[in-house]
Amino acid sequence: MKYFNRLKVLFLATLLLVTACTKNESTTNSSDQSEGSNNGKEETYELVMAFPVFGPVPKDMDKVEAAINKISKEKINATVDLEPISIGAYDQQYNLMLTSNEKLDLLMVSFRTVDGLISKGSLHELDDLLEKYGDGIKQVFEPEYLNAAKHNNKHFIIPNYNEMAESNGLLIPKKYVDDYGIDLSKVTEFKDLEYVFEQIKKNNSDIAPLVPAGVGFSILDHYRWYDSLGDSIGVLPNYDNDLQVVNLYETHEYEEHLNLLRKWYEAGYIMKDAATNQDSQIDLLKSGRGAALISGMKPGIAEDESIKFGMEMVATPLTEAYSTTRNVVGLNWGIPITSENPEKAMQFLDLMFSNEEIARLLHWGIEGEHYVEVSENVIDYPEGVDGSNSGYALNQNWMFGNQFGSGYVWNGTSPKLAQDYKEFNQTAHLSKALGFTFNAEPVRNEYTAVSNVIDQYKLSLETGSVDPDEVLPEFISKLKAAGIDTIIKEKQKQLDEWASHQ
Amino acid sequence: MAETIRKDLEYENDPNLVHNAPTKVRVKKKIRTFKRYIPFFIMLAPGLLYLLINNYLPMFGLVIAFKDFNFVKGILGSEWVGFKNFEFLFKTQDAFIITRNTLLYNGFFIVLNTVSAVGVAILLNEIRKVFFVRLYQSIILIPFLISMVVVSYLVYAGLSVESGILNNTILPLLGLEPISWYMEPKYWPFILPIINLWKSIGFFTIIFFSAILGIDKEYYEAATLDGASKWQQIKKITIPLISPVIIMMTLLSIGRIFYSDFGLFYQVPLNSGMLYDTTNVIDTYVYRGLLQLGDIGMASAAGFYQSIVGFILVLIANLIVRKRSKDNALF
Repeated sequence: MKYFNRLKVLFLATLLLVTACTKNESTTNSSDQSEGSNNGKEETYELVMAFPVFGPVPKDMDKVEAAINKISKEKINATVDLEPISIGAYDQQYNLMLTSNEKLDLLMVSFRTVDGLISKGSLHELDDLLEKYGDGIKQVFEPEYLNAAKHNNKHFIIPNYNEMAESNGLLIPKKYVDDYGIDLSKVTEFKDLEYVFEQIKKNNSDIAPLVPAGVGFSILDHYRWYDSLGDSIGVLPNYDNDLQVVNLYETHEYEEHLNLLRKWYEAGYIMKDAATNQDSQIDLLKSGRGAALISGMKPGIAEDESIKFGMEMVATPLTEAYSTTRNVVGLNWGIPITSENPEKAMQFLDLMFSNEEIARLLHWGIEGEHYVEVSENVIDYPEGVDGSNSGYALNQNWMFGNQFGSGYVWNGTSPKLAQDYKEFNQTAHLSKALGFTFNAEPVRNEYTAVSNVIDQYKLSLETGSVDPDEVLPEFISKLKAAGIDTIIKEKQKQLDEWASHQ
Repeated sequence: MAETIRKDLEYENDPNLVHNAPTKVRVKKKIRTFKRYIPFFIMLAPGLLYLLINNYLPMFGLVIAFKDFNFVKGILGSEWVGFKNFEFLFKTQDAFIITRNTLLYNGFFIVLNTVSAVGVAILLNEIRKVFFVRLYQSIILIPFLISMVVVSYLVYAGLSVESGILNNTILPLLGLEPISWYMEPKYWPFILPIINLWKSIGFFTIIFFSAILGIDKEYYEAATLDGASKWQQIKKITIPLISPVIIMMTLLSIGRIFYSDFGLFYQVPLNSGMLYDTTNVIDTYVYRGLLQLGDIGMASAAGFYQSIVGFILVLIANLIVRKRSKDNALF
């Protein structure tokens, strides 16, 4: 038996050794190849591009891909292999691709994961590439927004160009406004909402006038008077505050808003289950359980939301539009460090921003098959095709470069939406800390503890479900015990450092 | 084949034959023995290989728990940071609460599930009509097959403030005020075990039931002839004879006592913050804390800590079992 034991150990050891070795080999190989491809005759390079899809993967993806490749092969001698991944599995999937050294050249990263990826070194630095190949990208962006996407003064990601700022406001079906005689011109700030809720409750006592704008969101998640600096742990009130970071939860404004929300909750203006709500805002409004919500605003929001809710909606802004880093870096494109040919990846990215043909294919599909032009620059489904049977009803134009890069808008949206967006972006106020991103790495122990405390209290407080007089002091003292002051101090340090480079 | 092996075993266990034999002969015998076992080794190979690839190879990844993991440098190239990744688990004010909750809940689950499942299994055994046995078995097994997310909605249908059955039908009938279940932590130490029991009792019952079915009927016949009552039969025959299975199941559960059913503690309370005092366990704490940081090193550290504690607890539990009856111990 001993003989066999030794055999087992030997087997295990070799197995471990073999796996360890193969890993090293594959990495060295890949770097050799990228060097090799630069000199000598160029072969057509195939780029792998991973991005999330929010519905089913369109069945004509391959056709669209082939049409794109025809253009890209001619322009930059590269083809692209589109790799759509369902949103639920996206983070896991691309992390696996990165860790297992799978071929990946273009990657969509969201604001939630981008800092981690950069600090772990998984993304390529893009400054030189942007300088060399990125003219099309630079033309699309206002320079301040492209600069805002920098981390440590270097480009690691290219954001998509859509709304670069956000205001907050009330979203309500038009039928309630008309039926209950609500005069929305009277509503200009947060506390004026009470009048709207009162009108609704007076006319219909079964309905909850205010519901959260999504599962897991509080009311104040979509109403801000401060730059959250990424995570609301240490914020800049009024988007300025002379770059002095403060604890949001200790501010007087925060307490005032909570008191107001509590008052509304007790008056029956806020849905009773708001803190544990499991239904989407759409279900809540469609089933008549809720009447209105506070949400982020951008140009054309009323039309967009009307389609989503299946009824005509009215939007009333309550704040002015402000741009923070978070608004700019929503969904971004990055080039993974494992890419064998970052130059081609950048060239394709630039093409996606600047080439109308490629934008049209990615945004809407193939003309005649997935869309037809019904009037100038307005498109719709061809006859006999609709969202349910179209082979390419992706509708994710805000994810592929410039949202209006195709020059088309869908039938039903305003034809001058592109101009509206441009104006919105150009006139929005800029937060004083626009471009700053916090790196939580040095205070990660405190960060996990504080995240837990916020999770524990925020939703209940910011929906009015609990009494702020009792719970807010408890919340603040727990935050302090968990080390929020250490995080704020670190944030201030990083912000000062950042400001000195501007 | 079986015959020769038994002979081999006898041969090996015979001290006179093996240990006093000259070395050369012993080696020869060993090789011959090994040759006889070859078919068995071949049969063992797929399972062993699976175990190696699936359970042992990934253990290499444990080093991540002690490293400042960096994608560029890779697992081996990243810098060692000692126990820094573990700090966040112990430095917080919640360390006590999450450890207490994890241990108390899981400990209570083990006792409650085992006692109830053995009880139900004995009851099932008393049913004579096969049709009903099958029927009851299926009914109590169904919850085990339902996903926790679905369970959380079923619970929500009962406990919701606006539309829940309890608040809208049952409590008013009894003349009681509605309760905000998802805001009151004090009720959850009762709610969670009930849900856990409802969900997992079917699985345990089937295991214990099959163990009971394996008991020789002659024991019961003999006991009946001697005038033993049903209760005495259960106490003196059924439970002692299935105790090896009970002990094994308990030991296996103890190994996982530091892991908790994430769905039960996260989905079922709907992640309601006000309930954290009684619903926060190590897994949910780690999930919430690292959701934003996404630090692989810290997550591995938490997993490592959980498995080490589980491992030590199994060793201790097994030691206790072995002290009492050697045959029932796992190893």
